[in-house]
Amino acid sequence: MSKTTDKALNLMRHLPRVCLANIRDNPGSGKKRSRGRAQHGGDYHGAGNKGSGQRQNFMRLGYETGNNPFYLRFPWEPYYRGHHLRRQYPPLSMLDLQKLIDTNRIDTSKPIDLVAIMNTGLYRLFPDQRQFGVQLTDEGADIFCAKINLEVQWANELVIAAVEKAGGVISTAYYDPHSLQAMVNVKKFFERGVPIPRRMMPPPDAMEYYSDPSKRGYLADPEKISEERLVLAQKFGYSLPKIEDDPNYEMLVEKKDPRQIFYGLHPGWIVNLKDKVILKPQDEELLRYYAS
Amino acid sequence: MAMAFASIISSKFSYSCAILKSQTKQLIRYSSYKSSQFLEDVETNRKYDITRDPDEWNSVERILPPTTVPEPIKKKSYPSGWKPSAVNLNHMSYYIERTKNHMLPVYLKLCARGTRRHTLVRKVKGDIFEMEKQLLKFLQKESFKPIRSQVNEFAGYIRMNGDFVNATKFWLEQKHF
Repeated sequence: MSKTTDKALNLMRHLPRVCLANIRDNPGSGKKRSRGRAQHGGDYHGAGNKGSGQRQNFMRLGYETGNNPFYLRFPWEPYYRGHHLRRQYPPLSMLDLQKLIDTNRIDTSKPIDLVAIMNTGLYRLFPDQRQFGVQLTDEGADIFCAKINLEVQWANELVIAAVEKAGGVISTAYYDPHSLQAMVNVKKFFERGVPIPRRMMPPPDAMEYYSDPSKRGYLADPEKISEERLVLAQKFGYSLPKIEDDPNYEMLVEKKDPRQIFYGLHPGWIVNLKDKVILKPQDEELLRYYAS
Repeated sequence: MAMAFASIISSKFSYSCAILKSQTKQLIRYSSYKSSQFLEDVETNRKYDITRDPDEWNSVERILPPTTVPEPIKKKSYPSGWKPSAVNLNHMSYYIERTKNHMLPVYLKLCARGTRRHTLVRKVKGDIFEMEKQLLKFLQKESFKPIRSQVNEFAGYIRMNGDFVNATKFWLEQKHF
């Protein structure tokens, strides 16, 4: 007999007899309870059985009570790639703009920019949600007849034509989110007591748009813009009003510096609303930083 | 604080603690914010020129938002279709006040998850029942069913079942409200 068998038999002599108290099932012989496939074991999705629960509880939009919902069925759509990172330009129609002018919410005797539109209190912008300014849409382009110096962030050809036909000037300008945040609520920004930010240059993918004379980009060559004004007038078939002969010529040609965000105020200045003073930096380093 | 802490810990660590005290005068615990120093005002030696130029202050005031809604200016025509209310409406037995934004107070109210639509005309003054009668007479032409409506004279509103917002605004504009 081998040594191992001997040892096992010796052990058996000392162990108690096999009885009901010390036997158990073979492993894996029992049937386990199945796991429910939902938070509450795959029941009626919170609606209960019959009655008002089932009949008046409205499921969330697109929910198909257990099916893989249609809106989740396709994991990705290639043409939506990066949609959460793209710049958004919330719309403002020309009809809305005309109504703002008609009801005296916007002063046409001064250049109209994002600050003027935000100051009406009837347009909302959230720069922290990747919104980069006003997109002027062409709804109401046929009734638009205000002579204005307008600056928006996005405009199509018809909008540009409608503004220029009425004898106005339009330009598209880029503002970085920090500048936009200052423009959204000017009073709140001044009360913070921080210097007026330096406006950043557009990102590379927006550079083409904002330096395009046909889009009236603020970085485009002014001579090419006046050329494009004539081209657009011929395309849409209207005679271009001469802004040189206009009594409001000074207002119509007023333009911001590409580094400037408020008319008449330079970047780097601090406005003190309480004492009604403006603090201007004298430091060499700051002057170099805020220079355009 | 550091002294009290040093006294309660066992004698094993008192020697090392004494060294710490003599070096830093305070027990430094990097896990606690209490050990960090108070923030002092950062000294700036930037030079600023304080100016009171009225021209520059004008450009500040130009971009500050108005504190009240501006009154509309009288013009020959309003291309957007907006109309001011007539100056004299004494001949009418009722009157509808404009909102603070100079618009007609006619609204569409959605309820029951957007399935039920109510038209609400607010700010009605004067004979509200007479106005309801005339308004329903005008709107009834557009509806097959009789229009159900509710008048609240005290709150000054008329509520109608159905979406008649544009029709109501058109009717009110015709009456020069």
